[in-house]
Amino acid sequence: MKWKWLVFPALLTLLLFPAMTAWAHGAHIEYTISMAVEIVAAYDTGAPMAGGQVTVYAPDDPATPWLEGVCDEDGRFVFTPDPTKPGTWDVQVRQAGHGDMVHIPIGEDMAMTGGGGYSTFQIVLMGACVIWGFVGTALFFSRNRREYAHP
Amino acid sequence: MHIPDGILPITVSAAGYATSGAVTWYSLRKISQKENAQASIPKASLLTAAFFVASWIHIPVPPTSVHLVLNGLLGAVLGYYAFPAILIGLFFQAVMFQHGGLTTLGVNATMMGVPAILAFFIFRLRRVVGKESRWGTGVFGFLAGAVGLGIAVLISWGLLITTIPAHLDVEAERASIYALTMAHVPLIVLEGIFTALVALFLQRVKPELLED
Repeated sequence: MKWKWLVFPALLTLLLFPAMTAWAHGAHIEYTISMAVEIVAAYDTGAPMAGGQVTVYAPDDPATPWLEGVCDEDGRFVFTPDPTKPGTWDVQVRQAGHGDMVHIPIGEDMAMTGGGGYSTFQIVLMGACVIWGFVGTALFFSRNRREYAHP
Repeated sequence: MHIPDGILPITVSAAGYATSGAVTWYSLRKISQKENAQASIPKASLLTAAFFVASWIHIPVPPTSVHLVLNGLLGAVLGYYAFPAILIGLFFQAVMFQHGGLTTLGVNATMMGVPAILAFFIFRLRRVVGKESRWGTGVFGFLAGAVGLGIAVLISWGLLITTIPAHLDVEAERASIYALTMAHVPLIVLEGIFTALVALFLQRVKPELLED
């Protein structure tokens, strides 16, 4: 007769089980930490590359686009690289045949920020060096030959 | 105007190098046939510096902005020296400021240098009205500067429009290429006027510089 004691709880469980699942309005949240990469694309003039077309290439296949998208009006684009693919991710932004490619190391050699160009001072200095090279060439070829002529 | 690395397919870059190599060889041959080939080097060197700096001078043409190119001016004043001058200027722009690129150096040199040589022949047409004529120098200077840049813009447009990678939004890219090309129309007029002014100035102060 012992089994008879089990009938009632078993029936109760069977009756309530669908109801329990239907009432299970509790919530649970799972989390995984993923890392987003934000790029900001701008022209040399400082104007953002609004609407620039972004192509992301994963390290394992640098020939096939891994992700495609469009920069917002501030030239920004955010994507989450696949953490199982460490290496150098290439991101190209292109608009009207102009654009640039940035190489982002993901994994061990990661840097929190990168890219960017030279500072204005560096640009002016480099430009001045090159211009001086041209001016020097001009001066060299326009020197007065008689000064160097031996008697 | 300067096509950077990674935009064009490798075949186009290789073709650009082949073309610019051939034109450089031909230009240097023409230069070495001159009686005193070194005499024009100071002029060429200074104009190379001007070409190098010109790309920093941005002119806002809403919604975008364009920069000076000056290939027509170099062609008009330098003749065959213009091609090596543009090649050297582009090389330094690419290496120093990533303006343009090393893989596309040949393409960019062809795109700007060949129209420069054409500008030289246009400017020489002023002989028809007489070299001394200020009107002739002004009009043909304008035509040289405007046509030189105009053809470069057309070549650039043709190259870009035919090589849009299929994975991009082709319509959007095409629209932005059209917009950028149209933004160069005011620049074409501006460079024509600038070339005419420089030619008239040189004719007044040092006419032998325009003797080519």
